[in-house]
Amino acid sequence: MITTFVRRHVLKVRRLLPALTALILLGAWSSPTFALPAFARQTGQNCLACHAGGQFPELTPYGRLFKLTGYTLGSRSIPLSVMAVLDYTNVRNTKDSTGVKDTTDFYKNGKSIFDVGSVFLAGKVTDNLGVFAQATYAQYDHQKDNGDWVGHLSADNSELRYADRFISPGNDLIVGAFANNNPSMQDVWNSSAAWSYPYVGPTFALGAPAAPLLDGGLAQNSVGAGVYAYWNKSVYGEFSLYKTANGPFGFLHPYDSSQISKIKDGAPYWRLAYTKDFGPHSIMVGTSGLVAKIHEGTDFLASDASLPTDRYRDYGVDAQYQYILDPHTVTAHISYIHENVKWGDQAGLGYDNASDTLKELKIKGAYVYNAKYGASLAYQQTTGSTDAGLYGGPAEITGNLNNSPDTTAWVPEVFWTPVQYLRIGAQYWHYTKFNGAGSNYNGYGRSASDNDTLFIYAWGAY
Amino acid sequence: MKTALYTTLALATVTLVIGGCSNLERSRDIGNPQVQGKTLAMQVCSNCHSMDGNSVNPNFPKLAGQQPDYLVAQLKYFRGHNRADPEGSEYMWGIARKLTDEQISGLAAYFSEQKDAPNVAGDPALVATGKAIYENGIPKEQVAACAGCHGQAGKGSGTFPRLAGQHKDYMIKQLYVLSQTNQRPAGAMMTSLVHGLTPHDMVAVTTYLQGVVLQ
Repeated sequence: MITTFVRRHVLKVRRLLPALTALILLGAWSSPTFALPAFARQTGQNCLACHAGGQFPELTPYGRLFKLTGYTLGSRSIPLSVMAVLDYTNVRNTKDSTGVKDTTDFYKNGKSIFDVGSVFLAGKVTDNLGVFAQATYAQYDHQKDNGDWVGHLSADNSELRYADRFISPGNDLIVGAFANNNPSMQDVWNSSAAWSYPYVGPTFALGAPAAPLLDGGLAQNSVGAGVYAYWNKSVYGEFSLYKTANGPFGFLHPYDSSQISKIKDGAPYWRLAYTKDFGPHSIMVGTSGLVAKIHEGTDFLASDASLPTDRYRDYGVDAQYQYILDPHTVTAHISYIHENVKWGDQAGLGYDNASDTLKELKIKGAYVYNAKYGASLAYQQTTGSTDAGLYGGPAEITGNLNNSPDTTAWVPEVFWTPVQYLRIGAQYWHYTKFNGAGSNYNGYGRSASDNDTLFIYAWGAY
Repeated sequence: MKTALYTTLALATVTLVIGGCSNLERSRDIGNPQVQGKTLAMQVCSNCHSMDGNSVNPNFPKLAGQQPDYLVAQLKYFRGHNRADPEGSEYMWGIARKLTDEQISGLAAYFSEQKDAPNVAGDPALVATGKAIYENGIPKEQVAACAGCHGQAGKGSGTFPRLAGQHKDYMIKQLYVLSQTNQRPAGAMMTSLVHGLTPHDMVAVTTYLQGVVLQ
């Protein structure tokens, strides 16, 4: 479980937008107005032009158009950026039922760490072609056989995008194509899986025991391409196909190959959205879906394609609201994903059910004043079918007495953006339900709230 | 499924390769002097100001029907960092930094020729108060009549901007900038002229102006 959670959250961090140090090295620190990552240097604009209230990675209507037009607005500049996250995690109760501290699941608890750092190659290539390529060094990427954690640099969210815009009185059509390594990375709304809250989160803490495949399950371990169109800033449609990131695309997957999903054939991903701007308000309602057959077995390098496949059907609906009128920024997001998985070899896997369901609800609202002071409240709920083979069994700390994925968390956060390329924030993850119960969820007397986590971070980009 | 995958990949590859060509007619390159002002207006400026200059979000001023000389002057101020109000400079210094005089003229011509879309009329009492301030000023507070420079109908003239139909929120912010800061040096004459306006006066006069429809 820790592996899943750590991976999920490290990947979340990796998904996050641009960061801090490269330009310092290039001697550009002296220009505060333009003290921005690669895209901002390309446009010459402040972060808040593209990020709502400066709250990266949330995109403004302008930021969405910048991305949809292929990162090509502006003029070519040094296409490099860097990002770093320093953070502190404190889980409320790190002891097991015998009073012994769990230093595996809660490694570095109560300590400040350099968590992740990224380098980006990002910007306009031609009038129609742009790139966003990220590589991330995770200080605690994986463990050696002796249990020691090892840092590693891996490919992160990366995308090549072509776009054209046919615009005439009464008609505005943006069309494009992209290739990337994370279904929904191409999305421009923050209710989409790749860019949803938390934008940064704890590496060593516990979370829901499962997440839908659509919410990060294929992130950085698949490669795909697709096409999209956005008409009159109102109707958006997209279709893409993803396959395993192996062969020539092998460099796009992380260090631990056991985390790679071996996708049978291609996995289609689709997205539809309707958007409307009126006054300072901007709304979006949308839907998305991912269907995939994934071979059982953990090693994607295995050449045996005859292994049974699990069929994932993920459907999502989501919505976003923004109010942006200086000095106020209000944003709200909601997403709901329903997943059904039909197991290929239920007996072999040892699961109770021939198929299982998983439902994930995420709601988040935020207010930012003057692009400096912000607060948000998020609610995240995971529910699903019970399955002893999949989740079950009492155990210390992470056990699941109820054989259930049901987990509910409230996450208040405050943050401060003293300068546009640095955010300092504090989150508190409060669990009212964990693995199906509020108390004794693991059969050893542990309560959901024992997993409450304080997370403080400094997140810089340049 | 495999065929569909490879077809999509092939299509994507072809479009990416085609994307390598320059595209002056639909370019968003604000650093290329060969791109026409009109093209930039549609491909770049429209993101905030709308294709027809009638911006939706009042953070961004409406440019439709604006005086071309005023637009030229403001773009040159942004380009030369001679206009520093944050809401403007954060967006516009970058956009204007490499524009040529010819592109600026083209942009100004494009937006000045667009037709202003009327706003919803405001509260009648505020409109009446605002109209009186606009036309007569507030002599005892040494507030000048706006109409003196901006025209009886608010159409503006030369480098005096059109105010008729402009977003109320945008005008209020500019009144604060002009009356309380030196971020718009070219508008320095406004400082003394509007210094006597109370917040309520500002709301009234801008409520009146945002609802004015020019024939």
